[in-house]
Amino acid sequence: METSLQQNRESYYLDEALWNKIRNVLLLVAVVGWAASAYGWAADGYNFYGSYLVNFMFWLTIGWGAAFFVAVQHITTAAWSVTVRRIMENVMITLPVMAFLFIPVAVGIPTLYEWAQPGYFDIEHNPNLQFKALFFSAPLYVARVVTYFFVWSALAVVLYQNSVAQDQGPSEEARRNLRWWSAPGVLVLTATVTMASVDWIMSLDPHWYSTIFGIYVFSGGALAFIALVTLVALALRKAGYLRETITIEHYHDLGKWMFALTVWWAYIAFSQYLLIWYADLPEETVFFKHRMEGTWIYLSALLLVGHFIVPFLALLSRAAKRNLAVLGLTAFWILVIHGMDLHWLILPSVHPHNFHIQWLDVTTFLATGGVFGLAFWRRFRRRAMVPAGDVRLPESLAHHNI
Amino acid sequence: MADVVMDRPLPLDPPLVEGNPTYSQITDDVAGIVERKPPREWYAAISVTGLLTLALGISIAWLLYKGVGIWGNNQPVAWAWPITDFVFWIGIGHAGTLISAILYLFRQRWRTSINRAAEAMTIFAVMTAGLFPLFHTGRPWRAYWLFPIPNLDLSLWQNFRSPLMWDVFAVSTYATVSILFWYVGMIPDLGTLRDRAAGLRQKIYGFFALGWRGSAWHWNHYEKAYLILAGLSTPLVLSVHSIVSLDFAVSIVPGWHTTIFPPYFVAGAIFSGFAMVITLMVLARKAYRLEHLITINHLENMNKILLATGSIVGYSYAVEFFTAAFSGNPYEQFVFMNRVVGPYAWAVWTMFFCNVFAPQLFWFRKVRRSIPAMFVVSIIVNVGMWFERFNIIVTSLHRDYLPSSWGMFTPTVFDFLTFFGSLGFFLTMFLLFLRFLPAIALSEVKAVIPAPQPEKEGE
Repeated sequence: METSLQQNRESYYLDEALWNKIRNVLLLVAVVGWAASAYGWAADGYNFYGSYLVNFMFWLTIGWGAAFFVAVQHITTAAWSVTVRRIMENVMITLPVMAFLFIPVAVGIPTLYEWAQPGYFDIEHNPNLQFKALFFSAPLYVARVVTYFFVWSALAVVLYQNSVAQDQGPSEEARRNLRWWSAPGVLVLTATVTMASVDWIMSLDPHWYSTIFGIYVFSGGALAFIALVTLVALALRKAGYLRETITIEHYHDLGKWMFALTVWWAYIAFSQYLLIWYADLPEETVFFKHRMEGTWIYLSALLLVGHFIVPFLALLSRAAKRNLAVLGLTAFWILVIHGMDLHWLILPSVHPHNFHIQWLDVTTFLATGGVFGLAFWRRFRRRAMVPAGDVRLPESLAHHNI
Repeated sequence: MADVVMDRPLPLDPPLVEGNPTYSQITDDVAGIVERKPPREWYAAISVTGLLTLALGISIAWLLYKGVGIWGNNQPVAWAWPITDFVFWIGIGHAGTLISAILYLFRQRWRTSINRAAEAMTIFAVMTAGLFPLFHTGRPWRAYWLFPIPNLDLSLWQNFRSPLMWDVFAVSTYATVSILFWYVGMIPDLGTLRDRAAGLRQKIYGFFALGWRGSAWHWNHYEKAYLILAGLSTPLVLSVHSIVSLDFAVSIVPGWHTTIFPPYFVAGAIFSGFAMVITLMVLARKAYRLEHLITINHLENMNKILLATGSIVGYSYAVEFFTAAFSGNPYEQFVFMNRVVGPYAWAVWTMFFCNVFAPQLFWFRKVRRSIPAMFVVSIIVNVGMWFERFNIIVTSLHRDYLPSSWGMFTPTVFDFLTFFGSLGFFLTMFLLFLRFLPAIALSEVKAVIPAPQPEKEGE
């Protein structure tokens, strides 16, 4: 038993050469992405900011999902997820890097957001806008952005450090820290994610509002996060790693989560649509009106089919969740459709008449994805890919679905 | 690192059942409740709740004679206490299915000690809730018109675009599936009761045990049915209260029409349901000496769920207030200002205190594990959740777009009698359940205690 555990431990580390290879690929992607995007920024700044925001939010929402999910694992002392938790934590620990990726968004604020024009809210004639004018005043906006990145980075670092600290053996103190910070962490995470969704997405139309909006964005991110973790685990498996550690049972559970979050996303999306459609108030329906104009209607329809019906049917049966090819394909599809969802949320404000994919969407994806990937991949170097010292690791290794 | 032996539960978690009882002790403890004469507290309790049920009967009889006018409902507050009570009771009916279905799918094994009683509460709460819309129609003898039954003169066709219709389907589906789930889960235990009983009791329990013999085939079918029912119940936990929320949210009444209503109502429902489960289980485990089966750890877990759902409810309040301020919509802004400083401000502050602040005490382990503290907080939460519905319904309606039609709502004595009578009805049903049915899922609890080991072997 001891020797097999020892062997297991060695299999938790990535081969240096492989690590270097992937790192070089990511580096290349980042360099090419940034170079092409910089050209695009110089040539067509307006479209650059829109595309960049979509892709920035793509990785950021995935990071939110990671922080939320990791914290929930500690709150519930979940055992099944321990073998995949390090991959989750490595996604989560990209959150501090997102602060740097925010810089182009910050530069683009005057271009992207109407409310950033001085005197946009006419509070003299419409005193009801006083709160909104104050809310978007520069000092409060900056204070919020600083708070967001501070809170997300702090939560990610605390949850990451205390987990890694246990790699050489269980530590009661680290375990206590993890449980102590997770519950309040989820609270502040949810609050900040809600506000950030308002600041960065909802306020693209400065007069539209929907109380469920923060949950909508958060749900999509959580779903995409599980899909990404599934894909990373499958890729490692393909390379010959963690085959005995992340077993079919863990994939089955990841599939259950993808299924559950698909339904949850659909529930939230439908709640928002139904209530706005039914009440038919012009100040609310304007959001969907923009998304039904021109070719945007096709993207709206694609979301209904692709974000709900396809993954729902694909993952419904037990056999599908335990079929790694189906699972991987669905996970990939979910990531694509999450990108489309953000596209749908953000870009009708940038090019309102017609939906189209432009080359800047691709280059900014490579640019942000390259940086995200490097921040993520850095953590795989000479570090265990599994929380090797977690007290619940044996329980997780033996996990099986009845 | 110690060697890994997986066939025994890891010592990381406290045992689910305390005192290391044997299978037969557990059977005796639970089946004994229905076999022995009930304790004096039971008689005292059912006398009070029976009287309250009588009050409900009298007020309903008077209502049938005089009409809905005996309640305080009037313009502008046409939906008042009865709908508040309806939503309150439907909400209570959410903990049982959450515990039984969702916690089952999440493999939360601690649920086994409390799921049976919680499911019973679900069913009784839904039954109680159903009374209110039934009599609120004013002509309950025409209640079947709620269903799309072809009627002879073709003068009536139900409006399928109305959430009130969806409500009829949602609630009746929920009631049906909950009863099935509860009953199917009880079959092995009814078999146990039948085997221990004699005479007429044996015949009655035997009838409902459906010939249960505990064979491997029976268990195989049973487990499959249970899993399928758990899967069916899970979306129902979300759908019922979502649809109840649509009764309000599809309108254009500020304070009702807001997109967060469906998930916010579901969280509130689970919150209030758990509060009721805690209130009643604290009393029942003491009266029947079940402290070793429903341990302090079970109660602590439920308190954690109260803290979590209470915080979600707090989040929803905060988002609603924020969005009203943010919207720049004068009507939204007025309604929410009116809530906190208007004539019903006392009700909204009661709600904040009860639902948001009181459960925050559960951040402290000492409070989570203190029986008196959790009893008090659970009752506070029950009160708070009633006030939440009162605030949504009465406070949003009493001052609408036209200031000349503003008014206040005054409850009548029949509003009080109906509400407290419904509480009596719910509690009476629960007391009868404790008296005649196995209050703890025997077979499930036995499945989560360590299997009997041959003594001293392998040491």
